[in-house]
Amino acid sequence: MLQYITRRLLTSLPVLLGILFITFSLARLLPGDPCRAALGERATDEVCDAFIRREGLDRPIPVQFAIYLGDVLRGDLGDSFRQGRSAVEILIERLPTTIELALLAMIFATLVGVPAGIVSAYWRNSAIDVGTMIAANIGVSTPVFVLGLLLEYTFAIIFKDTPLWLPPSGRLTSGVQLPSLAQSLNLQNLSGFSAGFLDFISRLYVFNSLVTGNWKVLWDALRHLVLPSMAVGTIPLAIIARMTRSSILDVLGLDYIRTARAKGLKMRAVVFQHALRNALLPVVTIIGLSLGGLLSGAVLTETVFNLPGVGRTLFEAITARDYTVVQAFTLVIALIYVLVNLVVDVLYAFLDPRIRLS
Amino acid sequence: MELADTTLRPTTQALALSRWQRTSRILLRNRSAMVGLFILAILTFVAIFARQLATHDPEKPLIGLEENVKKRADPCIHALGCPQDQPEHYFGTDGNVRDVFSRILFGARLSLIIGFTTVSFAILIGTLIGLVSGYLGGWVDNVLMRVMDVLLAFPSLMLAIAIVTVLGPGLINALLAIGIVSIPTYARVARASVLVNKEMDFVSASRALGASDPFILLRHILPNSLTPLIVQGTLGIATAILEAAALSFLGLGAQHPTPEWGLMVGQEYKNVFNAPHLTFFPGLALMLTVLSFNLLGDGLRDALDPRLARTRTG
Amino acid sequence: MNRKLIYSWVVVVLLFSMLLAACQPAPTPTAEATAPPEETEEMVETEAPPTTEAPMETEVATEAPPAYEGMKVEAESCDYGGIIKSIEAVDELTVKFTMCVPDPAFPAKAAFSAFQIYPAEYLEATGGGGELVEKPIGTGPYMLEAWNRGEDVVLQRFDDYWGEPAKAQTAIFRWSAEAPQKLIELQAGTVDGIDNVAPDDIETVQNDPALQLVPRDPFNIFYVGFNNTYPPFDNEQVRQAIAMAIDRQRIVDTFYPPGSSVADQFLPEGLLARPTDSVWYDYDPEAAKQLLADAGFPDGFESTIKYRNVFRGYLPEPPVVAQDIAAQLKENLNIDLEIIEMESGAFIDAANAGQLEGLYLLGWTGDYPDPTNFYDFHFGAGATDQFGEKFEDITSRLAQAAQLGDEEARRTLYTEVNDLLKEHVPMIPIAHGASAAAYKADVQGAHASPLGNESLEVMYIEGQDTFTFMQNAEPIGLYCADETDGESLRVCEQVNESLLAYSVGGVEVVPSLATEYSTNEDATEWIFTLREGVLFHDGSTLDANDVVLSWVVEWDASHPLHVGRVGDFAYFSGLFGAFLNAP
Repeated sequence: MLQYITRRLLTSLPVLLGILFITFSLARLLPGDPCRAALGERATDEVCDAFIRREGLDRPIPVQFAIYLGDVLRGDLGDSFRQGRSAVEILIERLPTTIELALLAMIFATLVGVPAGIVSAYWRNSAIDVGTMIAANIGVSTPVFVLGLLLEYTFAIIFKDTPLWLPPSGRLTSGVQLPSLAQSLNLQNLSGFSAGFLDFISRLYVFNSLVTGNWKVLWDALRHLVLPSMAVGTIPLAIIARMTRSSILDVLGLDYIRTARAKGLKMRAVVFQHALRNALLPVVTIIGLSLGGLLSGAVLTETVFNLPGVGRTLFEAITARDYTVVQAFTLVIALIYVLVNLVVDVLYAFLDPRIRLS
Repeated sequence: MELADTTLRPTTQALALSRWQRTSRILLRNRSAMVGLFILAILTFVAIFARQLATHDPEKPLIGLEENVKKRADPCIHALGCPQDQPEHYFGTDGNVRDVFSRILFGARLSLIIGFTTVSFAILIGTLIGLVSGYLGGWVDNVLMRVMDVLLAFPSLMLAIAIVTVLGPGLINALLAIGIVSIPTYARVARASVLVNKEMDFVSASRALGASDPFILLRHILPNSLTPLIVQGTLGIATAILEAAALSFLGLGAQHPTPEWGLMVGQEYKNVFNAPHLTFFPGLALMLTVLSFNLLGDGLRDALDPRLARTRTG
Repeated sequence: MNRKLIYSWVVVVLLFSMLLAACQPAPTPTAEATAPPEETEEMVETEAPPTTEAPMETEVATEAPPAYEGMKVEAESCDYGGIIKSIEAVDELTVKFTMCVPDPAFPAKAAFSAFQIYPAEYLEATGGGGELVEKPIGTGPYMLEAWNRGEDVVLQRFDDYWGEPAKAQTAIFRWSAEAPQKLIELQAGTVDGIDNVAPDDIETVQNDPALQLVPRDPFNIFYVGFNNTYPPFDNEQVRQAIAMAIDRQRIVDTFYPPGSSVADQFLPEGLLARPTDSVWYDYDPEAAKQLLADAGFPDGFESTIKYRNVFRGYLPEPPVVAQDIAAQLKENLNIDLEIIEMESGAFIDAANAGQLEGLYLLGWTGDYPDPTNFYDFHFGAGATDQFGEKFEDITSRLAQAAQLGDEEARRTLYTEVNDLLKEHVPMIPIAHGASAAAYKADVQGAHASPLGNESLEVMYIEGQDTFTFMQNAEPIGLYCADETDGESLRVCEQVNESLLAYSVGGVEVVPSLATEYSTNEDATEWIFTLREGVLFHDGSTLDANDVVLSWVVEWDASHPLHVGRVGDFAYFSGLFGAFLNAP
């Protein structure tokens, strides 16, 4: 097992290096003057010369890359020109929103997708099967932003003044505030990494309110997340449903199932007790792969629902030509993606001995 | 490959033919795939005859050119009861007083072009990479596949956005970005197919007869790799159209006044509460288009899956 | 296998490095590097002697209190190009401004948000920028509690405010660029007031008994600008041709709410000394085409049209207007315009720096009720570079008019300026846009300021201790000396104050931090008496040195605290001509 993990880690390292190189190239390839992009249009030539010298932009590329690597490893991802503060600070602020969105979307997709796949497989080829699969396909075919708008329109306008009403935007209702964990847990004297980490966790409103028992805020935060999660979650939902269905069908065709049935087990027992466990393994991999789709979908959903998350910030940084933020955020997103896939692979290996022994 | 009965094994060519025939028969029986094909047929028809079917110029504002025309007008169909003094616009008018119906029609043309060009580009380059990589193996394989890994390490839309940032916004650049982002998938498919096929007897036989490597690649291996590529390609068109729409929605793809569906949603989504038709018609069009490719692709995959084919001899 | 992997990666990285190095030229420094002003942390000796705070309470001790050391900054000569000669703290509560030339509009200018007063110690502590931009400290009825970037700005009532305390304990600013979204939030009850109701939604608000509509007079101007240093816009005939080829009535009729009007001149109605019979070019596409051909472009040309997608009273729907203008120019003059949307902050910065090539859409909402606010800021000697080269015949007349007290004399000069604007066409005025704010029906004190400066301290809902206002965009910075954006200014106004202020919802100049002011005969000296016992949010007391330093850091370009967010201080140079010791 350990061997498998080390092997996987080693194969990830080159990929990480490649990602770093791509994000590094990104900033260098962007059109326009890097100095004016970082310091603004008003920067004079003298200021820019000093800037170029200080940032080492006149050194050869491999040297620049080495410097960049060093910075990243030290946790210095640069400063945002537009906002006048470090990219890491902005990241700590915005990443929790996207993480909450992605997690809830994943939960939604799994909770709805797996049963849908099971139902489809169970009543194979019936109207239910066809209907579910078409619905799943519609889910994956509708652009996320259109779906988000549909949901917003339905729940904020059509269901206005009904108990089904859901807020159309934002993370919390106006005026509702959640004290940071540093305040609630009286840990105000931390600094550096621990303070940043605590701040980061505090911004996971669902987690924060859960941990501090702030039920009102928890309810508010969850309500605000329902529509965006549903919008983003439809993509993995369709894939999960399809995957579950075909996976179960595959397993159902196998010998040991025939044996179980021959032994007299009812179909339902067969499905739940034997088929499911093995069928769900590929689904685990799908979860990891879907994350990419979730993160991409997040950009669009965050725009429609006015959520200040990583996706929208990245997009705003691009339009504002805030290249440091673009570089930093792209890097972090890619890193998260690689990390999650790594975890999923390990999990899969853990669950399926055949993989780790190969 | 399944074992035939005692008749001599036909040549690759003839086998492929009968396989296609068998595949299409299976496909025709798959109801959802047929739905997809039907929608696609309508779409293609609309795309080809957009100019004839459209009622107005898709890019020209109608201010002053029509009596009583209003911005963001609701759909008005005289046959369905809309009063005669209002100008007829099946899907209404948009924020610049342009006919939405015509824009949707021309958008079909654009979406199909977007889908086919990006996927063709990606398949072309991806297959090349995959064939070379899989056949040559060793160093080349390693390097090429690592590059593909890095491309796959980014969520595709993010990478496309990053590429468009470097190249500048615009439809062509967006297509290039989406094409680049799609390459790894096809490279992998092609490579997998090569790895399976290159150890086959008929390849060694061919080599023994003196055939050169490129000849083998093109004449023997490539045709057998086509089927997974086609399946992947069909599904890839769906993804490409969605990604192009997403880029245009964000303002990075098609620019005003091009009648691209994603751009139309991007411009009018802020008015979804007082003029929902302006968002939902292009949204519906996108959904139907992508759905058709997805259904078709799924159907093709089911029909061409060798395992399932085993259980369907006939 | 692993070693091979690493080797193959090294090969990939090297290959890419070479590719990258080939694609991108190495930047070569052009001159000797000097330490950039933004980067210096250390403080240089200031011109003025260090100030000491004289104790405000009368001491019981028998010693006489130490003499007040007031700051004074004086320009060596009036040749530097600006109109301020000196700013002096005469004593603790008296500030004297001496001008090089008469400036009758000075009180109206002094009330403006760009000239708010900050504690001198805080200015020094923050170095004139950095934290100052995010956490302003002022004397206003609200203090800044938090600026949650991307989400909201939260203000808390300042209980030691010198005037009437704010009605609502907490004031919150939120923003959304999408007008329909703002309306949804208002209808949903999640915000209490919104700015700039979309033209399509005005009827909806009027018909909703739970909401109240507060219209705002069109005290603004929307124009299409050019920078005349970029060809082909350096050709005056080209600019004139474009002016004749835009059907402005069509734009106003289609894209603006009722109450808006086509702009025949740069100034909206309601300003004193406004010219009465200025008329802009008629819409004449044939003449325009002929003129463009004469200018050397019979087949048109290619260019760009840029805008920022932010809702403003002067321009509610930028993208559709941009498209319409592009369509019109294509149709009438065969000019191909690529439509480019820019981010708001980047757009403004680029405009002010003169970096916008091609056409651009911009406008102006009046800050104070004097033509100098419109004219001088855009076409005066101290204006930014947004239009390129300035026109001497215009700048001289504006400088003259600014010094006159007689309304008719000014009107005559401004009429000449209008004629010159029509001849030189630095920009094409299109519309004066009507707009409106909407509030919940039970909001007390609801108003819409013609200057875009709503005062949240008088607005509240019975029984609610929070008041939430939703504007169009996030503030760019909260140090308003260095901001020009209405969204930033509105937030600043709640937290900081100037010597004078405008009446709530109006344009009258009223006392604020200064209780009274006096002037000499020719309006070259203005003496302000400060209110006693005014406290800043950090507990310190207001005195004349705070006032002087707040003004001087803007005025003196060589001052180490002349930093701000970007260092533009655009309003200062626009309204007062120039900076002292400009580089």
